[in-house]
Amino acid sequence: MNLRRRLSFRVTPRRALAAIGSALALALLVAWSGVIDIGASGGHWRITSWGLHWVMQNATRTYAMLEPEPPADLDSPARIRRAAGHFETSCAFCHGSPEHPSPTLAPHMTPMPPGLTQVTAKWTPRELSRIVRHGVKYTGMPAWIAPQRSDEVWSMVAFLRALPEMSGEEYRRLAFGEAVPAPAADPALEGCVRCHGRDGTSSGGAFPVLGGQSEAYLLATLEAFADGTRPSGIMQFAVDGLPPEDLTRLAAYYAGRGGVREQAAPDGSEGARIAFQGQPENDVPACQSCHGASPRRNPRYPYLGGQDAAYLATQLRRMKASEARGPTARVMHRIAERLPDQAIDAVAEFYAGQGRDPDPANAAR
Amino acid sequence: MGAKGGRAFEGLEKAALVAGAGLLLGACSGPQSALDPAGREAAEVARLFWVMLAGAAIIWLAVIGTAVFAGRFQKTPLGERAGLRIVLWAGAIIPTLILAALLTFGLRLMPVLRAGEPALTVHVSGEQYWWRVTYRTAQGEVETANELRLPAGRPAEILLDSADVIHSFWIPALAGKLDMIPGRTNRLVLNPERTGTYRGVCAEFCGRAHAFMAFSVEVMEPAAFEAWLARERAPAAATADAGAFLANGCGGCHSVRGTPATGTIGPDLTHVAARPTLGAGLLANTPANRRRFVSETEKLKPGVRMPAFGALESDQLDAIDAYLGSLR
Repeated sequence: MNLRRRLSFRVTPRRALAAIGSALALALLVAWSGVIDIGASGGHWRITSWGLHWVMQNATRTYAMLEPEPPADLDSPARIRRAAGHFETSCAFCHGSPEHPSPTLAPHMTPMPPGLTQVTAKWTPRELSRIVRHGVKYTGMPAWIAPQRSDEVWSMVAFLRALPEMSGEEYRRLAFGEAVPAPAADPALEGCVRCHGRDGTSSGGAFPVLGGQSEAYLLATLEAFADGTRPSGIMQFAVDGLPPEDLTRLAAYYAGRGGVREQAAPDGSEGARIAFQGQPENDVPACQSCHGASPRRNPRYPYLGGQDAAYLATQLRRMKASEARGPTARVMHRIAERLPDQAIDAVAEFYAGQGRDPDPANAAR
Repeated sequence: MGAKGGRAFEGLEKAALVAGAGLLLGACSGPQSALDPAGREAAEVARLFWVMLAGAAIIWLAVIGTAVFAGRFQKTPLGERAGLRIVLWAGAIIPTLILAALLTFGLRLMPVLRAGEPALTVHVSGEQYWWRVTYRTAQGEVETANELRLPAGRPAEILLDSADVIHSFWIPALAGKLDMIPGRTNRLVLNPERTGTYRGVCAEFCGRAHAFMAFSVEVMEPAAFEAWLARERAPAAATADAGAFLANGCGGCHSVRGTPATGTIGPDLTHVAARPTLGAGLLANTPANRRRFVSETEKLKPGVRMPAFGALESDQLDAIDAYLGSLR
């Protein structure tokens, strides 16, 4: 009886509170003492690793429901090509690539960045979109620089979906361009060339044509990428840290190639009618009133003749939705919002069909 | 404390009453008042209003008087016959007579609004959110915008239609309002009598910038009007360089007669500097406001169809402003 009384322990509210308080104080003491090893070299305990990954998978699945629907032509070659160069620059050194599957850095990170050969089997397009757009907390995975650029995020998703089947040779072609990079005469230019080529061509609709473009427009655009007023996860990263004189030189370089031009000739098509007369019934002015050839036009307005049709149509739709941001893109928001979808395609086709000027000597300045 | 508070409140109340009465009376005159008519139609409308008001006041007094009489002085109920007679006379016959008289008086005014052999025809088209004004003269059409000038003492026929949604054309100082309906032309004849500056407004909700869709009205001596119309007919006589205006694509939407700017989407700017307001009655037409309107269009007038050109270089905006300012 006596012994029993001595061993019995009654849980009162006060004692429970004291116990919880002591446990918290102990935990704080341990954290404060600095004995918890947060070095990446030791890795996680297996249970920590499993727990973190489990939470990450669940969260990705749930939050993927907030992602937009993937485009119908998600896996188009142009979209895959568009993200390839950026993958090589900013993803491959952690995740590896078909050309270099086991980067030296990866095993020394905690958690270790996964290779991406299983990515299609493991994640749906919207889950990939979620991960690419928002990154993953407590890992090294950053968010997309311009999360509002769904078009860019979908390009990366398309590329990731093509990655497991991709040969090293194919990867090399997509990420570095057709030409083997020459010894760097201009290191800044070598970065551009991987996607935009030496002549600033569209590479099968993946990129806007830069060759022959107005130099003032190219420079204003590069500056807008550099200061973030024109958001782009790919281009903001590409121009990051380039000094102003590099931007000036790059703009002048591509402006001096053959490619787009400001001249356009009406050909009787609906697109030509919009370009030269506008759609007065929808309060849409003629494209040529700003973009047409004239010795006095504002050189910051881009040339359209010979530009890639898919690029023009995409940009017009982004302007129509007031998404496109750039030095002068706001002017186009009010105009594009009144352009019906068929008109956008018609006018993009018209300008794309204006032929590229292959001779740099003829490129309009 | 309570009494003191009460007195202070009374003082405030009195001040508010005086200020309120002042405001009310002040609203009876001015450039946009139907009670300060400057034309025959508006005078008729004002007379109709005063007659109706007097009639309504008499009826109101009679009804309230009857109610007070019944409650205070007539202590014994009336017989059934007398009651029925009151219902018949006061409830049916007298109101019918009064309403018929007022209706006849009101309807009599309607033909006046369309009568008259016009000396001048002006076509006014409502567009979101401005007014396209075209004078049809023997020497051809003269287009201007957001401004209506009329000669005093001469009937002017105004043809009204709309390019997009229903608007309503209302110059309270000159006449009642008339809707502008897409696909239909409404006719209004104005007889302005007193020279002066008045204000017209859109009186039918037409979209986000509806409240910013106004125009100025100038009733002038006939000789001055003819001189103005001749100046308005002439092509632009700009003294500043049109370069920046044309280089930035302004001519895609706006016309400046006599230059390569031939756009028909927005207001004709041939003599824009001579107009009293900018942006359809939005701002006084000063150099600073012209620059603001070009660079902050959407901020000043939400829903406007013109894009803001705030991203242009400062020297381009200066040059455009100088050019617009020289279009007199």
